[in-house]
Amino acid sequence: MSGTPVRSMARSPFVLVVGVVLTWFIAAFLVWPNVNILMATFFPDGSFSGRAAEKLFSSQRAMKALGNSFLLAVALSITVNLVGVFIVLVTHYFRIRGSRILFLGYASTFIYGGIVLAAGYKFIYGDKGIVTSLLVKVFPGLDPGWFSGFFAVLVVMTFATTTNHMLFVANALKGIDYQTVEAARNLGASTWTILRRIVLPMLKPTLFAVTILSFLTGLGALSAPQVLGGRDFQTITPMILTFTNSPTSRDLAALLAVILGVATILMLAVMSRLEKGGTYFSVSKVSSALQKQQITNPVANVVVHTLAYLLFAVYTLPVLLIVLYSFADGAAIQTGQLSLNSLTLENYARVLTQQSGLRPFVVSVVYSALAALIAVGGLLFVARLLQKYRNWVSTAFEYLLHIPWILPSALLALGLIISYDHPNPLVGGAVLTGTTVILLIAFVTVKIPFTLRMLKASFASVNSSLEEAAAIMGAKTLYVFRRILLPLVLPAAAAITALNFNSLLDDYDTAIFLAHPLVQPLGLVIKANTDGAEGVEGVANTFVYTVLLMVITGITMYLVYGRSGRKGLGKKRLRAAPPPAAVPGPALGMMSDDDAAKTAAPVR
Amino acid sequence: MRKFHTLAAAAVAVALLAGCGGGGTSPAAPADSSPAAAGGSGETLVVYTNSNGEGRGDWLSAKAAEAGFKIEIVGAGGADATNKLIAEKNNPIADIAFGLNNMYFSQIKAEGVLEPYEPAWAGDVDKELADGEAYWPLVKQAILLGYNSDKFSKDAAPRDWTDLWTKDEFKARYERVTGLGTATAQLVFAGILSRYRDDSGDLGISDEGWKQVEQYFQNGSPAVAKTDLFARIASGEVDMGQMPSSIIADREKSFNVNVETVIPSVGVPLAVEQIALVKGTKKKDEAQKFIDWFGSSDVQGEFAQKFNSMPVNKTAQAKANPDVVNFFADLKQQDIDWEFVQENMGAWVEKIELEYMT
Repeated sequence: MSGTPVRSMARSPFVLVVGVVLTWFIAAFLVWPNVNILMATFFPDGSFSGRAAEKLFSSQRAMKALGNSFLLAVALSITVNLVGVFIVLVTHYFRIRGSRILFLGYASTFIYGGIVLAAGYKFIYGDKGIVTSLLVKVFPGLDPGWFSGFFAVLVVMTFATTTNHMLFVANALKGIDYQTVEAARNLGASTWTILRRIVLPMLKPTLFAVTILSFLTGLGALSAPQVLGGRDFQTITPMILTFTNSPTSRDLAALLAVILGVATILMLAVMSRLEKGGTYFSVSKVSSALQKQQITNPVANVVVHTLAYLLFAVYTLPVLLIVLYSFADGAAIQTGQLSLNSLTLENYARVLTQQSGLRPFVVSVVYSALAALIAVGGLLFVARLLQKYRNWVSTAFEYLLHIPWILPSALLALGLIISYDHPNPLVGGAVLTGTTVILLIAFVTVKIPFTLRMLKASFASVNSSLEEAAAIMGAKTLYVFRRILLPLVLPAAAAITALNFNSLLDDYDTAIFLAHPLVQPLGLVIKANTDGAEGVEGVANTFVYTVLLMVITGITMYLVYGRSGRKGLGKKRLRAAPPPAAVPGPALGMMSDDDAAKTAAPVR
Repeated sequence: MRKFHTLAAAAVAVALLAGCGGGGTSPAAPADSSPAAAGGSGETLVVYTNSNGEGRGDWLSAKAAEAGFKIEIVGAGGADATNKLIAEKNNPIADIAFGLNNMYFSQIKAEGVLEPYEPAWAGDVDKELADGEAYWPLVKQAILLGYNSDKFSKDAAPRDWTDLWTKDEFKARYERVTGLGTATAQLVFAGILSRYRDDSGDLGISDEGWKQVEQYFQNGSPAVAKTDLFARIASGEVDMGQMPSSIIADREKSFNVNVETVIPSVGVPLAVEQIALVKGTKKKDEAQKFIDWFGSSDVQGEFAQKFNSMPVNKTAQAKANPDVVNFFADLKQQDIDWEFVQENMGAWVEKIELEYMT
C-alpha cells in the first residue's frame, strides 16, 4: 500500500492522464490566481513589508480573537466527535426504540445552518427564550443571559456540525464486518470492549477526516459567536471579512487567513500520520452485514435511551421554531414576542412574488449541481490514486489540493478576477471574467478539499484484495475502478455530492464577485433581501429563505438517500448472502431497523 | 449503474470544461456557455448598486422598462460593490454604478474606474455634493444619533455623540457597532474623528480624538447580529444609537417606538448617494441616456415619493415627502473635509478594529 516509487507510478497510462489534467487544473485554478492575489496583497509596490504581522501581533483584540478561534477549533474536534459518535451508534449500532424518528431529528443539521441556526437556538435558550423562562421560574436566581459566551457557542456549534458524522461515520459503520463483532462476543467481550476494540478502530479513517472538518469549522466560526458569543467570546472570522473588504487592510486579512490555513494543514499532517499504516477493512473471507446490538445492561439501556431522546429534542426544537417564526413579522422575530394569531403567509408571498421570481433558485440549483458533480466525479479518480500511491509526488498533489481551505472565498474570487480578466495562456488565451464559467470554476475549486478528504477516507476502508483479485483475473484498471471500487464508495460519493450541492446553494462570498449579471444565483438575492440595513422585512426574509432552502436541501437528501438506499438494498439481495439473524428479536422490530439501515446501505 | 453514468457524465464535463477553456468559444458544456458571451445580449445595461433593497431594484427595473431601457441590476453592499468595480477595471462588466456614497465613489475614481460625464441635469444639483466631474449626486442621507423619546425628553437627551460616553446616564444605554464594514458606521466615525484633526497626531487625529473612540467602545452596548437597533430599543435593552435618516419613520411604525434625533452643534454628517458611468463600457450612449433619465427631476421625484428619500435634484424636491424636505431644510450639515477622510478611512478602520474594539 505504502511507498510506491514515483517511477512505477508513471508507468500507468491511467495515472498519466489523470496526472496531466490534475496538474493543469491545480496550476491554472489553485496556484496561479492565489499566488497573484497574495503577491498583490503582500507586495503592493513590489517590496515586502512586515507591516501586517507587526500590526496584528500588537493588537490585543486580534490575538484574543485568534486564540478564541483556536480554542473553539480544538474543543469542537472533541465535542463533535463525542456527540457525533453517540448519535451514530444510537441510530445505527444499538437497538434503540424509535431509531428512525431519532435519525430524522439528528438529520435536521443536513438541511440548515449558519446564522438562522444560531438564532433558532437563541429563541430557545437565549435571555428571552422558552427554556430560559422555564428555568427562571424553577431557579429564580438564574441569570437570564446564562446561555452566552464560549459555552453557548460550543454547544450550538457541536450540535450544528454533526452532519458529517451522520453521513460518513454512519456509512463506515455499516461497512464493518459483523463476523468480527460476533467472534468477539463469543470470546466473552463486553459491549463496551467490542465498541472500543473493534468498532471504533475500524472507523478511524473516517473519524480522522471528520475531525479535521470539525477543527476547520471551529477555526472559521462566524455566525454562532456573533449571535451568542457576547463581549467575551468573539472569533477572528468577522475581522478577516472586514479587512478583506478594505483594500488598504487586505494584507492583514490574508495573513490571518494564512495563519488559519497553516494550522489546518498541520492538523491534516498530524491526522495523515495517525492514519498511516493501519488496516481499516475486514480481512475475513466472507464478511456479513452489521446487526443492531441490544444494550444488555438495563441501567445503561435506560440512560442511553434517555440521552438519545434528550438530544432529539435539542436537535429538533430550533428547526420547529424557525419554521414557525418564518410566518411571523420581522418585529416579532427580533423582539421574541410570538403570538399564534400573528402568523401569516405574508412573508412567503413577498419573497416569492419578487420580479426575479424563481429564476435565482433555478440558477443556483444548476450551478450547485454542476459544481458538486464535477468536483466529486473528477476527484473520484484523484482520491483513488492518492490513496493507492504514496510517495512525495502524491503528497505534494494532496497538499496543493487543499489550497482553497487556506484563503477566504472572497480572496479566491478576487484572485480569479485579476488572473483571468485578460487573455491568459493557462486557459488557452480566453478571458474568463464576465462569462458564466468563472463562477462554476470557483464553485468546483472551493469544494475540492472537503470532497477529497471524504473520498480518500472512504477509499481507505475498501479491501484491497478485491481489487487485486480482479486484476489477477485480467480486469483493466478502469474496469476495476468502475465495477469494483466505484460501487463501494458510491454511497459516500453520493453523500458528498449532496452536501456540496446544499452548501453551494446560498453562496454569497464567491458569487458576489464572479456571477454573470444576467445569471445571478440565489445568494445575491438573499443578501439583497436580508441585509441588516434593508429594513424590518429583512429578518423575516432570512427565515423564509432558510425554510425554502430547507425544502430544497431536504429534497436533495431524500433523492440521494432514498434512491441509493433502494438500490443498495436491491444489490444486497443480488450479491451478498443474506446475513444470518444472529440477534434474535421481534420480526417487526427487525423490519423497521432494516428500513432505517436502508439509508446508504453499502453493498457488501 | 445509472449513478455511474451520472458520474461519468460529470467526468466528461470536466474534460469539456477544459476544452471550453482551450477553445475559447467552443460550443461545449451546454449548461455553462449558452447564456454567456459577456453580456452581449442586445443593449441590456448592467447596473451595480447597493440601493436595490426593499423593492427599489424591482421598482427601478419596471420604471426603466417603461422608459425603454433594458437594465439588469446587480446588487451588492457598498464595500462589495466598490471592490467589485475596482477588481474588474481591466475588463469592466458594469455600465453604470449608483447608490454608493461619495466616500466609496472617490475611492473608485482614484482607481481609474470611472468615465467623466456631465449629465443633462447637472444644473439642477449642488455640485459641491460630488466631484463635479465623474460622479453626480442623487440622494441625500443624514447619519444621525437617535434616541427613544418616550424615555428621554429633549432636555434630558444627549446633545452630541460625545455625551454618550462622558455622561453617566447614557453609558451602556447606547448601541455601539461591532464592525466598521458598513457605510453608516464609517460615516459616524468620519463625523467624530474629523473634529480632532491634528496633522502631527496618529493618522491625522489627535490623541484626544483617539481617546473618544476608545471611550465609545468601552461604554456602549455591542450591537447584536440580526437584531435591529429599533428592536433593542423596543425591548428596552438600549435607548439610542446610530441611524440613517431614511429608515426612521418606517421602523418607528414596525417596532412601535418613538425616536427623536440629535443635531449636534457641529452639525451632522451627510452621505450623498451618487451615480457614475463606468470607464470601458461598450454601451456608452445608452448608459449616458440612462443616467440622464434616472437623475431627471421626474424620476428622482417619483423615487423620493415612493421611498421617502431626500432628492438632491432641486426640482424633484417638490414631489418628495414634505416632512423629509423640511427636516433637511433645518438640518445643519457638518463641515467635513471628505478628501482627508477618504485618504485615511482605510487606516482608521484598521486601527479601530485592531486597537479599540473590544
